[in-house]
Amino acid sequence: MPSLLSLSRRVALVAVALLAVPALPAQRLLVPMDDGQTNHLKAYGLTYNAMKTGVQAEWLLNYRGGAFLLPDAPELRRRAALDGISTEPLNDAQLTAIRREMAAGNMESVPLEKAPRIAVYTPADAQPWDDAVTLALKYAGIEFTPIYDEQVEQGDLSKYDWLHLHHEDFTGQFNKFHLGYRDAPWFREMVAKNAAAAKRLGFASVPGLKKDVAERIRQFVERGGFLFAMCGATETLELAIAGHDVDIAGDFADGTPMDPDADGRLQWKRALAFKDAHLEHSPFVNSMSDIDGHQVNVPGRRQPLGTFTLFNFSAKFDPVPSMLVQNHRAVLNDFYGVTTSFTKATLKSGDIVLATEEGAPWVKYIHGDYGKGTWTYLGGHDPEDPQHAIGNPPTDLSLHKSSPGYRLILNNVLFPAAKKKPLKT
Amino acid sequence: MLRALDLENAGKYREAAQLFRTALRTSPTAGALLGLERAYAELGMSDSLLAPLDSLIARRPRDPLFRSVQLRTLQILRKEDLLRAAFERWAREMPRDPAPYREYARLLLQLGRSAAADSIVQRGRRSLGGTRDLEYETAQLRAAQGQWLPSAEAWRRALADAPHLAGAAAYALAPTPAAARDSIRLIFVASPADLGSRSALAELELAWGRPSEAWEALRVLPPDTVAARVWTEFGERALAEERYAVARDALAAALRAHRTPALALSAARAALRAGSPADVFTLAPLTDADADPSRLARDYVPLHVEALAALGRAEQAEALVDRYDRHLAPGQRMRLARTLATAWVRAGDLQRARAALRAAGEDADSSEAAGWLALYEGRLAAARALLRDARDPGPELALALGILARTRGDSAVELGGAFLTLARGDSTGAATWFLSAAERHPEAASAIVLAAARLRAAHGDAAGATTLWQRVVTQYADSPEAAESELEWARALRRRGDTAAAITHLEHLILSAPQSALLPQARRELELARGAVPSP
Repeated sequence: MPSLLSLSRRVALVAVALLAVPALPAQRLLVPMDDGQTNHLKAYGLTYNAMKTGVQAEWLLNYRGGAFLLPDAPELRRRAALDGISTEPLNDAQLTAIRREMAAGNMESVPLEKAPRIAVYTPADAQPWDDAVTLALKYAGIEFTPIYDEQVEQGDLSKYDWLHLHHEDFTGQFNKFHLGYRDAPWFREMVAKNAAAAKRLGFASVPGLKKDVAERIRQFVERGGFLFAMCGATETLELAIAGHDVDIAGDFADGTPMDPDADGRLQWKRALAFKDAHLEHSPFVNSMSDIDGHQVNVPGRRQPLGTFTLFNFSAKFDPVPSMLVQNHRAVLNDFYGVTTSFTKATLKSGDIVLATEEGAPWVKYIHGDYGKGTWTYLGGHDPEDPQHAIGNPPTDLSLHKSSPGYRLILNNVLFPAAKKKPLKT
Repeated sequence: MLRALDLENAGKYREAAQLFRTALRTSPTAGALLGLERAYAELGMSDSLLAPLDSLIARRPRDPLFRSVQLRTLQILRKEDLLRAAFERWAREMPRDPAPYREYARLLLQLGRSAAADSIVQRGRRSLGGTRDLEYETAQLRAAQGQWLPSAEAWRRALADAPHLAGAAAYALAPTPAAARDSIRLIFVASPADLGSRSALAELELAWGRPSEAWEALRVLPPDTVAARVWTEFGERALAEERYAVARDALAAALRAHRTPALALSAARAALRAGSPADVFTLAPLTDADADPSRLARDYVPLHVEALAALGRAEQAEALVDRYDRHLAPGQRMRLARTLATAWVRAGDLQRARAALRAAGEDADSSEAAGWLALYEGRLAAARALLRDARDPGPELALALGILARTRGDSAVELGGAFLTLARGDSTGAATWFLSAAERHPEAASAIVLAAARLRAAHGDAAGATTLWQRVVTQYADSPEAAESELEWARALRRRGDTAAAITHLEHLILSAPQSALLPQARRELELARGAVPSP
């Protein structure tokens, strides 16, 4: 039996030996996206920028809130440390255990190969409201190119994989803001600039120009582009596409009243997501159609905000919708926009509903294929400012580093990077 | 009625309702009806109020209270058709009365039905020949619709006759977007400067984070007793919120309009805190309480001694304390001795400062003030012992304790000189002294140089401060002060427009001091420098 002294000496020797073994280099960096992550939004930027340098990443759908797997490179560690992003080094054994766990559950690994080229449709000058996607991309450190009517008309959309639309009114009626802001300097300037652009580009009116831009966006998706739209751009893009051959703008916008038979003449088969919607004919009612369920700017019609729930898709069989709903929260607070939600009655049968409010006649977040491309629509204006008003300061995302709503936007940025896998069914 | 109210207060609503009903039958007063309404609401029996209301209205059809309670009850019961019918009946029977339109529109607004409320107000306007009697409802209605300018215009008209609605106006208009606020201001500052509109504007400016403009809104009111009351309330609120300059101006204006001793003392306190000690002598002169020496000693002398000390007029401060010495309480004498010591320090006479403390007794000489004197004289051991338990926290104390903890030895003339010069209000001179002290105390040099840098920065000498931050970062890279210095250096670079250099330093700071408590601030700065978040 060893003496007490010899035992303690042996323990000490073992301890020294353990200390002397150099730490095994980790081979991968796991970027957790559950509550263990300290900056969810910047984690998307880390992954996107890694891909831009030629690194291949993996998106671990439904594993730890939709974690990312990156090579363990010094530059990635450095960037994570600078941005306060939580990472966990993994060795082969740990990675094998994770893959085993994923294989047994509703989880799937999706390779992310190529950083998409991103365009954001936005005017060059500042507008009196913020743009959630621009804010998210800037905060995450993801590069994008702002484009507007001139570039779209020049055919520049073909240079990009991913196009974002936010608050634009593609019916050319300036969101009917003339009702409350016709004398506001920013509104006058916006009208004048758009009118000048329409003239310069050879259109008789702003609605004419915007309809043509909408048509080019439709063609962009049809040819394989990825479209993500929020707020009023969702509804008005669809109205402009369906109303390609009919006057759907009030006389305040183009000098002629809306076609009284416009509803019946809309060609919904051309539209991406909606069908059978009814236009709001009154120029004095701040609403475009019955696509929006909440009608925030119409007193008496406005519906209160609730919460919406993300669907839990099968990661193995439905990887695309799964990517779009990766989150560390399943239930999110709703937020208003000029279009807040989409009434169920106006959805096309092929639309995939990604998030809905239980018991409500509307849904919040939808997705679908169109031609060779895809579109995704998220209702509302700013996930962290539920009642963002004109003139309010932009949201400071450093105060919302783990915003589940903003994650939905950034899911859309990464999803075009996913390598298509053959379906297992 | 009294018995009914007692029962209601005791939660015996059923019994209370019985008595209110009896009272209503014999003499239908407002108290009895409102009591019955409350009791029935508690019992969930609001529908039982409808029958008594019908007979009350039949007996006194012109009484607007009965009609209002009827509308309110029907709204609570969600009987919308009956509600509309009751309103129509009231409007038909009292065609020149604005009350039916007003009450019904208010109920609709509460229900969020602003379009319906709008139609009622418009109908009222047509029936009454104008909206003068419906301005309040119009104002609320337009605000609910986000039509900020029409709302402000209606509020302005409503406030002319009802200044007590200023708070409601401010509450309704506070969400006005920044872009429209100047137009709102123009509406409220237009002549004449009446109490209601100016009070509403002041409230709005406070809500929009502009306290000085809030005072400007009120300042132009004609100086009468009503204005004095408004100014006093505003000044006291500003004082509580530590907005001392605004508080001083408001209370001084109130004092000029309506002088009271309490107001004079409040105004003088605000002036002291606002850094204008000379104002104390005019706002609360000693002659105000000449007849009552005890009161003078208790309320006025401390303020005057503090003001004289702040101005470095130690001789006069001491003379004042001597003059009222026999009226001073012991605790007060001790406090004044410390103030006097501070006055002598400001005057640069440490011997008389110590004498002032000694005169107040042994306790005073072993106090925090004595600790400061020891520090000024460079007696570090005594300063460490006396300041360790100091109860008056402040940035100077934190700086002194931080440096004392890092320095070795018992005496340090340069360090004492630095703190003394700082206490005398000469921050430029103090920075020079600190730099000399840093040469003498290499063990605490990084902390002392950083102190000098802070003083230079506070004095607006960005270049001088940057040189010192740079020195701490390069010369004392492993010191605890290196992180703060690098952060401040980066901030200065960003302010100068050199964002690339700022980013380099911030990245260096974050990567080299990952455990620093300054990391969140450094990341925030990095995001601002990169343009990743909107500038504040």
